[in-house]
Amino acid sequence: MTQGSIRVLFFGAAADRAGVREAEVSADVATLDELWPLVEQQHPDLSPMRGTLAFAVNGEYARGGDRVSPGDEVAVLPPVSGG
Amino acid sequence: MSRLATRWPCCRRSPAVDPVAGSFAIVEEPIDVGGLVSAAQRPDCGAVSTFVGTTRIDESDEASVEYLEYEAYRPMADRKLEEIGAEIEERWDARHVSIVHRIGRVDPGEASVAIVVASPRRGPAFEASRYAIERIKEVVPIWKREVWSDGYVWVGSQVGTRS
Repeated sequence: MTQGSIRVLFFGAAADRAGVREAEVSADVATLDELWPLVEQQHPDLSPMRGTLAFAVNGEYARGGDRVSPGDEVAVLPPVSGG
Repeated sequence: MSRLATRWPCCRRSPAVDPVAGSFAIVEEPIDVGGLVSAAQRPDCGAVSTFVGTTRIDESDEASVEYLEYEAYRPMADRKLEEIGAEIEERWDARHVSIVHRIGRVDPGEASVAIVVASPRRGPAFEASRYAIERIKEVVPIWKREVWSDGYVWVGSQVGTRS
């Protein structure tokens, strides 16, 4: 991984829509809300799902205003359907 | 199981000698439900409640589901299972909790998840196992897709290749 970039993981339907399971965003962003437009720009097919998605930063659920930093792992999580 | 605990048949717990046992796991092979139940049986518990979620086949006019395929975000999903165990421990007198979820391909009728709770009394055992499956469906990052004879669908997202 490029130093200073944020690693973005996609799961389930989001991986389908993104066409990849993983991406890197190296722009200077401070929060999830700032990160999202860049992810969407790389993977526009994710846009229609935006309202259904949850996020995790470094393995814990996070909200739009939560901080993200270089080196973090951000997971894009569609509605869970375990069981 | 310590000998001391067996001499306390009442509902009191003594964590120092009798910690909650059990296991939390995400596995890729068939779940050994019988083994989980056997491991939960203990002399201070009069109830072992077991919930087994199995894959159900849906059919439409032209197609049917052939199997389900699960994926998980690990290790977050593993940790969430453990957290559910801790929540149960806070709310009920559960002395053994196991939650095992399978990922990968699961064929019709096979177990995708098994929850086993042992408690001195049946009420807490039933309630805690129900709680566990509801929490799994809320917070554990696991997803399933139905693989049909004519394409697939991600459950909950309605994204897929079926027309």
